[in-house]
Amino acid sequence: MANLLALFAPPNVINELLQRLSLSPETINYVVWPFIQIGAVVTAIALWALYATYMERKISAFMQARLGPMRVGPWGLLQPIADAIKLLTKEDLRPDKADPYIFFFAPFISVAAAFIVFAVMPFGPDWGVITDINIGLLFVLSVSSVGVLALILAGWSSNSKYALLGGLRSSAQMISYEVSMGLALIGALMFARTLSLSGIVQAQGLDSIWYIFYQPLGLVIFLVSGIAENNRAPFDLPEAESELVAGFHTEYSGMRWSLFFMAEYAAMIVVSAMATTLYLGGWYFPFLWRIDHAGYHSLFVLLSLVVFIAKMVVLLYIYFWLRWTFPRYRYDQLMDLGWKWMLPAALLNIALTAFAVFTVQALDGWHGLKTIESLTRGVNLTWQGKVIMVAFGIAGLFIAAAMLSAINWRSRDFNLKKQRRQVRLVSPPQGQPAVAPAPSES
Amino acid sequence: MVLSGWAAVFFWVFAVAALVAALLTILARNAVHSALFLISTLVSVAALFILLGAEFIAGVQILVYVGGVMVLFLFVIMLVNVSAEERGHELLFNRPAQVAASAIILALLSLGLIYAIRQGYDGLLKRDQDRITPAVAAAQPPTQPNATRVMRISQDTQRVGGSLYRYGSIPFEVASVLLLVAIVGSVMLARTTKQELAADDVDLELLPELIATEPELAQEIEKLAETQTKL
Repeated sequence: MANLLALFAPPNVINELLQRLSLSPETINYVVWPFIQIGAVVTAIALWALYATYMERKISAFMQARLGPMRVGPWGLLQPIADAIKLLTKEDLRPDKADPYIFFFAPFISVAAAFIVFAVMPFGPDWGVITDINIGLLFVLSVSSVGVLALILAGWSSNSKYALLGGLRSSAQMISYEVSMGLALIGALMFARTLSLSGIVQAQGLDSIWYIFYQPLGLVIFLVSGIAENNRAPFDLPEAESELVAGFHTEYSGMRWSLFFMAEYAAMIVVSAMATTLYLGGWYFPFLWRIDHAGYHSLFVLLSLVVFIAKMVVLLYIYFWLRWTFPRYRYDQLMDLGWKWMLPAALLNIALTAFAVFTVQALDGWHGLKTIESLTRGVNLTWQGKVIMVAFGIAGLFIAAAMLSAINWRSRDFNLKKQRRQVRLVSPPQGQPAVAPAPSES
Repeated sequence: MVLSGWAAVFFWVFAVAALVAALLTILARNAVHSALFLISTLVSVAALFILLGAEFIAGVQILVYVGGVMVLFLFVIMLVNVSAEERGHELLFNRPAQVAASAIILALLSLGLIYAIRQGYDGLLKRDQDRITPAVAAAQPPTQPNATRVMRISQDTQRVGGSLYRYGSIPFEVASVLLLVAIVGSVMLARTTKQELAADDVDLELLPELIATEPELAQEIEKLAETQTKL
């Protein structure tokens, strides 16, 4: 088991403090320190879920020329706490004909799936990460794909039509967008050459570039699919207020409802943290390493954490921005976007990236051109290689736009009748296999 | 692999959980409960994969089976709406002939299982012997240090990818084409003439031939025409 995951030692200050309590180094590294980290992360995420509501209400208010919450505390800063107390003291209702066990457990599955993922998130270097596992990225994808189960089960167990429709919608939507989300990541993986999330950040550090420059198309696809995965506006069909009351959580109230809410906000952080890790260089910031080299290691780790959170908050702002500026998609438009735009774009991105990596490797040593420094830990390119790769990345945006508009050119005019007439596998009256397409003269 | 310590606890907890959940999958009366127990089985098996050091397979198992296949299962169960609660008083076991048939299959399977376990156990003991021998241990592929260089993590993913695309590429491609054909075929089969009529998507030239094979279609068309004139 020891070779599956790597845990990290605490910073020296805490280490000495714990050793003074006469704890053995094993206990500190494997039990006490991980629990401190887990506690810190869970508290931070729960607090975030609280204050994200405040942020959301304030942003929407400013966008609509209002003030937002102003009554509780200065500038309404204590409003989320008042809301939390209200939710905690509310009655926990259960519909009479609901499935008791599943109705009880669905919110917990949702929260657990959203929170477990943070175990592998590389918030910072050294002790800034809880653990680093070999299959980090796959772990994040697989655990967050379990979250959709909670929505379906909540919708089904409520025994209510609106909830069931919301659950069915969410499952169809999340399955459609999961595919393009997974495929969008492969482009970045071709550069990082590892699934470990810390490894991906490290690879960007060694190459001294953020993968957003190599993979602008990948980031766009990932963000759009990520927002759709989180059921946030403009993709909030599963909880569309105007059609489904509140979707899958119609029958939930009080604490159980707030668990779903918390899971949604935690899942938002997961997607933004993944985008930060894969495309925005994780906790790297130009010239920050100088602090480490000057000997202030703990300060360096702390600043790295701040950098990571700052990048994440920028992405989270995009969520709120989109929510309050775009109208909701119609259901068929949502499916169109998923299958006819995002999926071909993600596949094209893989093909283009593979071609770009191949080209850069082939150009190495051609007419004295040096493009590759090393390939041992991620793809490390020289400045010429970087220029070529960035050019490929930007060209990819235009190629994708051209290809998508070609695919979707009058795709709504697809005529099944005409297709049937041309491709007739079985001639209906006799039920015999047809030899040739029937002439369309009659 | 001789289990000891926490690894043994890990194994027994998840092995027993997998078996119990598998049993409950077939004993549960509610289809959704069955699906949930099947999910528990799949998760427990994924945990056993981790114990075997095949963490990539474990991740893929959760991603594909729990996150994809089982979600679709639940989706279908809810769409079809199997009202199992109403049929709660049916017998759990079927008639004697079917019970006898399944008992024979069970006997054959358990014979095979006992044989496989004996073979596998011998092999595992031998492998552990090999591991202890220093010469063989030295020949094992080295593990890469992880990003932070604190511990070494295994190279399982690279090995799976390499062997899948190098040695198994043709079966891999064939399987994917097979799945695509199955999807297209099921769409074509599932779309009945009635649905096409309702969607006003039927070929008018083929309609007389279709009515000749299915006389009920004429009535359907009349009904549809009536509702359309009403609207």
